[in-house]
Amino acid sequence: MDGGPQRSDVVAMLATYGDRQPEQVPETISSLELAWLLHQIEQRYGPVDIDDEMFVRMATVTGAVEVLRDLKVGERA
Amino acid sequence: MTEGAYPQLEPEWVDEVLLAGADDQACLHLDQPITRAGLRRMVAERQRALTEAGLRRGGACALCLPPSVAFITNLLAAWRIGAQASLLDHRLTRYEVDTALARLRPQVVVTAEGSAAPLRGFADVTEQVCGYPGRPATTTHAVIQLSSGSTGPSKIIGRDAANLIEEVRRYTQIDGVPRGGERIVSLASMVHVLGLVGALLYGLHAGVKLTIPARMTADGIIGAVAADSLPTTLLGVPFHIELLASVPDPPKLPQLTGMTTGGELVRGDVYTAFTDRYGIRLGNMYGMTEVGVIATDLFGENRPAVMPAPGLTVREEAGELLVSLPESPYVGLADPARWADGWLHTKDAGTVDPRTGLVRILGRLDSQVSVGGLKVDLTEVEHTLATMPGVAAAVVVFDAAIEAYLVLDRGDRLPAVESEIATRLAGYKRPRRLNVVEQLPRTATGKLVRDRAVLREATPVAASGSAVSGADAGPG
Repeated sequence: MDGGPQRSDVVAMLATYGDRQPEQVPETISSLELAWLLHQIEQRYGPVDIDDEMFVRMATVTGAVEVLRDLKVGERA
Repeated sequence: MTEGAYPQLEPEWVDEVLLAGADDQACLHLDQPITRAGLRRMVAERQRALTEAGLRRGGACALCLPPSVAFITNLLAAWRIGAQASLLDHRLTRYEVDTALARLRPQVVVTAEGSAAPLRGFADVTEQVCGYPGRPATTTHAVIQLSSGSTGPSKIIGRDAANLIEEVRRYTQIDGVPRGGERIVSLASMVHVLGLVGALLYGLHAGVKLTIPARMTADGIIGAVAADSLPTTLLGVPFHIELLASVPDPPKLPQLTGMTTGGELVRGDVYTAFTDRYGIRLGNMYGMTEVGVIATDLFGENRPAVMPAPGLTVREEAGELLVSLPESPYVGLADPARWADGWLHTKDAGTVDPRTGLVRILGRLDSQVSVGGLKVDLTEVEHTLATMPGVAAAVVVFDAAIEAYLVLDRGDRLPAVESEIATRLAGYKRPRRLNVVEQLPRTATGKLVRDRAVLREATPVAASGSAVSGADAGPG
């Protein structure tokens, strides 16, 4: 079973920046939001090793979900 | 060779004010430590490269480089040649860079191959140096920067060497700035005034080692502070305070003596969370590209007010803050609403306490907003959208993020419009959400309404950019 972050989880994590509602979170992720998202991910799922190419892919919520899935973040062993 | 407007000061000012000091002093640390001797050697190499490309005393160059050793060495090299350097943000689109170069008309342009990866504090740059069909400098300014314009072209802001030196020396007189032998970890981009003068130039002048974190993440920033035992000041923008304050259990950082932010004021709850968690002072710096630092509160004692920096006077007129500035910083623009009779208009609403001199900034009087510490003029964004092919009308508003409401000529043109926006506007200026509506609300006299609540009621045709609406929304 996939325990990793789903799209709604990524949106929820982004929404914690600026106390936003999920529907206020844009599809695009700014560089500040990316730093915030990384921080939220590591607090919930532990350290992650994301390289430059993966950060580039995380320019959108869709991309972020894909990268986290590729890295198997949060998946049960 | 055509004569240029020779720089106001002899190029020796660079050696005297910025590069002087012991050869073995580590003055910079990006990916590795750089000594003064090493920096001087690299600057000399860049001088040779720029001279070979045609840059001479009185000449003009443009640097479009990310924060990097290359940015530092090319800037100092241009100044040592006695040439003028225009600084273009590396995030500008090709279109924006071309437009800027056509206005500035430099003789040499320095760019970087590729683009900087996200969250990198600095880039490892391979410079590309090209000639450009421009002309020598037309003013005595040492540095030229562009500021978001409200309608039409952005303002060209020039600062001459004497003004830069005056600001660097002003820093030395402010209580609470880091001193020689200490360190600054700067999260503020060295391409913009806070990081450029407050960290880079002041640091070089005063012997304060400048460190840039490799990664602008919470771990990256804390790691950069922890890596050196010198008394350290963090310099950043309010976002960094929020990020650092949310680290649940940061390591003890005894070398961290304080943090200063520029840009908008940090919210009270975030201020308290940060100072409680890190046990250090959190200060505030208020400034403008045109003049640099204007007023500070480095110990947080006067929060939310700030004290004018030594040598500057701030006064209030008709609710607007004005700063003393002997000459207009605007190149090719004589607008008394911007500068007149030795006073620069900040376009900030504010008050000055006649008894204490303390300044309170109350908000903008124009349409400029701060996006992660970067200044964006909403009217410029709106003007760009409204004049694009396929767009019949546009309104741009700001509510934590830039958002646009558009009326399109044809309903199916949204992807093309989005694509065009990406070529015309750097990422940080782009609306995070595009709402296509049937028509924009207007007043009885036909003026566009900018009230967000009213705009939200406009009948939608489509919304692009919402994460919740699904994976199909937004750029693919």
